[in-house]
Amino acid sequence: MQSTSLPSRPLRLRPAEWLLENGLYLSTLLLFIAFALFVPNFLSLDNMLVILGAAAIKGIIAAGFTLAAISGLLDVSVIGVLALASVLTAVLYERLGWPLPLTLLVVVVGAYLTGLVNSWMVHNARINSFVATTATSSLFLGVAIALTGGQSIVITRPELQGVFLARPLGINLAIWLTFAVYGLGYVLLNHTKLGAHFYAMGINYQAARLSGIRVGRVTRIALVISAMATALAAVIATARAGNTLLFGTTITGYDVSEIFIIALLGGVSLFGGYGRIERNLVAALFLALLYNGLQLLSAPASVWLLLKGVAFIFAILFDTLRQRQQAR
Amino acid sequence: MDIPILETRALSKSFGAVDAVRGVNWQVQSGTVCALIGDNGAGKSSLIKLISGVYQPSAGEIWVRGEKAQINSPQDALKLGIAPVYQDLALVESRNVVMNLFLGNELTHGPLNIFLDHRRMALEAQRVLLEMRSRIPSVFEPVRKLSGGQRQAVAIGRTLIRQGEIIILDEPTAALGVEQTGEVLALVQRLREAGKTVILITHNMSHVMQVADQVAVMYRGELVHTTRKEDTDEHQLVARIMGWKPENKESKENKETEAA
Repeated sequence: MQSTSLPSRPLRLRPAEWLLENGLYLSTLLLFIAFALFVPNFLSLDNMLVILGAAAIKGIIAAGFTLAAISGLLDVSVIGVLALASVLTAVLYERLGWPLPLTLLVVVVGAYLTGLVNSWMVHNARINSFVATTATSSLFLGVAIALTGGQSIVITRPELQGVFLARPLGINLAIWLTFAVYGLGYVLLNHTKLGAHFYAMGINYQAARLSGIRVGRVTRIALVISAMATALAAVIATARAGNTLLFGTTITGYDVSEIFIIALLGGVSLFGGYGRIERNLVAALFLALLYNGLQLLSAPASVWLLLKGVAFIFAILFDTLRQRQQAR
Repeated sequence: MDIPILETRALSKSFGAVDAVRGVNWQVQSGTVCALIGDNGAGKSSLIKLISGVYQPSAGEIWVRGEKAQINSPQDALKLGIAPVYQDLALVESRNVVMNLFLGNELTHGPLNIFLDHRRMALEAQRVLLEMRSRIPSVFEPVRKLSGGQRQAVAIGRTLIRQGEIIILDEPTAALGVEQTGEVLALVQRLREAGKTVILITHNMSHVMQVADQVAVMYRGELVHTTRKEDTDEHQLVARIMGWKPENKESKENKETEAA
């Protein structure tokens, strides 16, 4: 056999596999068409931008979450990091009057540090990632509350919103940033050595370690990226809301379960090693679409929660079934 | 080739009260197949893990190519050309042959060498499989779809990709059928022909007699016997594995009273 020609890739997908692979895209398309036909005011440019904007923030968080999940790390410290990043932004920028670039720099450093804390817990203290990040979430939330003394801070200086709510070429900066994050994530996961190591560590930690992959370093990078993505989302959300996301002791409007749903629908496995970041974007869109449609229909909140629950269960079942099929 | 490619000097490893490896002085010559045999619990796996950087010695030294080596991690061992193939093969099941062959060692190109070179890896993977005369149909096949013998080939292939010089095979034929076992043994001989040094851990005496040049026997953590294949046979090896020593007749009687 001539070894100078590239071997061809096999191309076969049974119908059931095809459905599992593309069910998400199909569902999103069908939902879109259904809403376009039956929901008044749905099909307008403004509404489309609203949907994209809503999908953006959660999508960015989900991107970071997915990257860590692919490495086998479940980073649920989202709420804590959101709170901390939002509070840091408000305190430094608004209360202390710091210039925006410096504030953002500190937020980046803060996110980096939270990522380090998480990775120390997981790699050095060898604590299960889900447990460890649940604990650190409380820790970060506590720090955030301490920084504000429990009070909400309203952003009055115009630059933050000026930058993050800008609409270059008529499209929200948030949406641009989302595409940038996903683009970088895609390249990282599919075209770099580090990306290959994320997958390897996620599927078979021992194999990765014994092959010479520096699992401590990979863990650190994955969790730092997750924290940074969340921090970015926090800054955008703070700008959009006009005040800190923290109300008393909780963050309203953001729920870790939604991030899970987006990641799971996007094909991430809770067992690590699976996930394609581009699908997350569609999953985030799907949820945003659903929410938007229900809003326009003036459906009661319970419907949204019920459907979210169904989507969550469906996504977990899909993941479990896929794992079992793989194990054959 | 007088300087052994691998040498251990008084190498020891204890886990609490258990002495897994006790003062092992072992020399492995370059380009030979050295069988490491011994009963379960004799310390073979522990010795190998010391050499491959998974464990750190409690005492003693490891010398590679005539120089003292500090092996504190699997990466250190890999850099010295020590390429272990563990019993569970350490393969990533859901990924394909190419990615498994290059695990931890992926080829890159482009600016700052960040981008994976899928093309070059696929070609290289094919070349290695061809060299091993493996019958794996496609390098894009996910590993979980391969048979035991094919997986073994991928695991061994990885050592070739890594330019491994000292290839350690831990019970490579344990879970294989007759035909696949034959393939693996043929592979071992091909590795030697390519100038590699192979350390083969096995329980199967007939395999030892088939492919090994040297045999090292471990018993209760100690290296009790080394010999050339020509100077021994299966019976003698089995006796050594069970702790038989040739010094005097009393040693056998001592064992009987010990057991009583």
